[in-house]
Amino acid sequence: MVSRAPLDGAVPVASPAFPTRTHSHEAKGDPVLNRKTIARAMGALTVLGTMLAATPAGASAEAVLHGKCTACHVEQDGVFSRISNQRKTPEGWLMSVARMQVMHGLKITDEERRSVVKYLADTQGLAPSETAGFRYALERRLNTPESFESEQFAQMCARCHSGARVRLQRRAPEDWQRLVHFHLGQFATTEYQMWGRDRDWFTVALDEVAPGLARSQPLDTEAWKAWRASTPPAVDGQWTVSGQMPGRGGFSGVMTVSTLAGKDRHAVSFEGAWDDGSALKGQGQAVVYTGYEWRADLQLDGTPMRQVLAVEPGLMRGRMFQRDHDEVGADIVASRQQAGNSRVLSVYPAYLKVGQEAELRIVGTELAGDVRLAEGIELLGVARRSATEVVVRVRAGASARGVAPVTVGQASGGALAVFERIDAVRVVPEFAVARIGGNGTPTAKVEGRFDAEAWAAGADGQIGTADDYRIGVFPARWSVAPFDEQAERDKDVQFAGVMDADSGVFVPGGAGPNPARRMMTNNAGNLKVLAEVGQGAEVVRGEGHLIVTVPRWNNPPIP
Amino acid sequence: MKHLKAINNKAQKLEQAVAEGRVEEVVAMSAIAGCASTTDPGWEIDVFGGVSSLCQPMEADLYGCSDPCWWPAQVPDMMNTYPDWNKDAANSKEDWRNLGTVFPADKL
Repeated sequence: MVSRAPLDGAVPVASPAFPTRTHSHEAKGDPVLNRKTIARAMGALTVLGTMLAATPAGASAEAVLHGKCTACHVEQDGVFSRISNQRKTPEGWLMSVARMQVMHGLKITDEERRSVVKYLADTQGLAPSETAGFRYALERRLNTPESFESEQFAQMCARCHSGARVRLQRRAPEDWQRLVHFHLGQFATTEYQMWGRDRDWFTVALDEVAPGLARSQPLDTEAWKAWRASTPPAVDGQWTVSGQMPGRGGFSGVMTVSTLAGKDRHAVSFEGAWDDGSALKGQGQAVVYTGYEWRADLQLDGTPMRQVLAVEPGLMRGRMFQRDHDEVGADIVASRQQAGNSRVLSVYPAYLKVGQEAELRIVGTELAGDVRLAEGIELLGVARRSATEVVVRVRAGASARGVAPVTVGQASGGALAVFERIDAVRVVPEFAVARIGGNGTPTAKVEGRFDAEAWAAGADGQIGTADDYRIGVFPARWSVAPFDEQAERDKDVQFAGVMDADSGVFVPGGAGPNPARRMMTNNAGNLKVLAEVGQGAEVVRGEGHLIVTVPRWNNPPIP
Repeated sequence: MKHLKAINNKAQKLEQAVAEGRVEEVVAMSAIAGCASTTDPGWEIDVFGGVSSLCQPMEADLYGCSDPCWWPAQVPDMMNTYPDWNKDAANSKEDWRNLGTVFPADKL
């Protein structure tokens, strides 16, 4: 490691930030003016901060900022160089503090880090609308294909890490430029890699990309101002939760949340069941950052799980995943059990075949009043009901087709698909990346996990047209095949891993060179993912694409 | 390409991909959140959207990637950030099991 400055001495030193390239850039940024503006804003925010939920983290976080961060960051009237010129997500701030630990020798306890991340996320976070469209990165949906209108942005920023990592930040103009300097100083290859060496990278980055980001993702926004002035949604109480996990199925239950006395944390317990009837329960703790960023750690049936949810009034949405295997996760939605918060979260089963008679379980909150189904679906009777669950017997009549809403009194949000035949099967995700691992290494394998989605062709009988509709997830028979001739020659199917025929879970091969393969190559592979869904004597097939590749050792919370 | 002649298998495959107009398609496919989309040669996915043209086994010349921080978002760069990453794995071909992940344990 390069020599490190003593950080505990709290002796202010010059900012480590690279100076901007020319004087004109300094002038453009006008840091002094900016600091004053921010100081005023910070003063206002301090008052507004009392309106945000829990703030006890504040005191010790300020001690960390003044006692440790000022070893490098200059502080003037409560404004810190670099730090005060940025806003980002809790994970973004965690990555910044972690980078100070790794690159600049910051010594900080876990408790101090938690505290300062909480404080910064609360006071310099993103408004809910500013994270829209990029929550997949926070939710660890790592098979999300990214595309950006700006080819330049994709090539300059998203060629190494996700574009979402950038889109989930707001900075002052001069701070975007300092980020360019940081990248070039820390990662010299930036300039001579593909999409760097074919252009005057530094000039493009500094004079085009950074100013562009300053315009599209500025430090001061109306959205953030309005969010800071608002009262954050309540989280304590009982929530009805519904989820769907590829490779396992659906589940629902009740999550109980209560604020821990004197702490900026909430106790969380969950009690529910999978749709196949098996129990699912556990408990843990949650922290709400920025007034709406719910992060909970739970032990569910002995497995450490993380919840990354966005809280809206009466509603939470996001993903829950295994802490040590974030590819194993479920989409979840939760509705708070409170007066007037009528909502249907899920209907199980989510589909019926024409002519089928079945018991339908409707899960939600404030489920009072008549159950209404689409025309052609006959309500035969109510088996049992409560405010959070209504079980009815129904029959899909001969004329019923398509996806129709399921409502209970004022509660809407549910849907039921009725189909005559499955016309197509789609493998979801259509494209996935698994990674080799284990085999005596500390890096875990990253599995591929797939669902088989059945689709109906709609009235025109043609698949691939606008009236196609999604029926739902069906059990399938799973296998893999070589994606192309090269994969066949290299025997990728034999080496890259094993697909579980029933669950659609692909466990990749072990890490390391494989002496049994040509040129001792890794257990990488290029595979087709094949799903077969039975329909009487017929089989409907779907196909996806799975890349089995090498590990990722640098694995921060935002990819 | 008028003055350049493909002399190895990979270069010939690249010429073929260009001739068949598949390059755009390959680039689009590679843009998966968190995967490097540079394909010179590429960490997760090669220029053809597969894995057979990656440097493999990657342990054979791993430090040729990590020393000059070629994929710093995936592979710890040993030039500036993680100079000690391989302290227990001087010979990557033999000691690859001793290489670990680098992000400090998540404490959110």
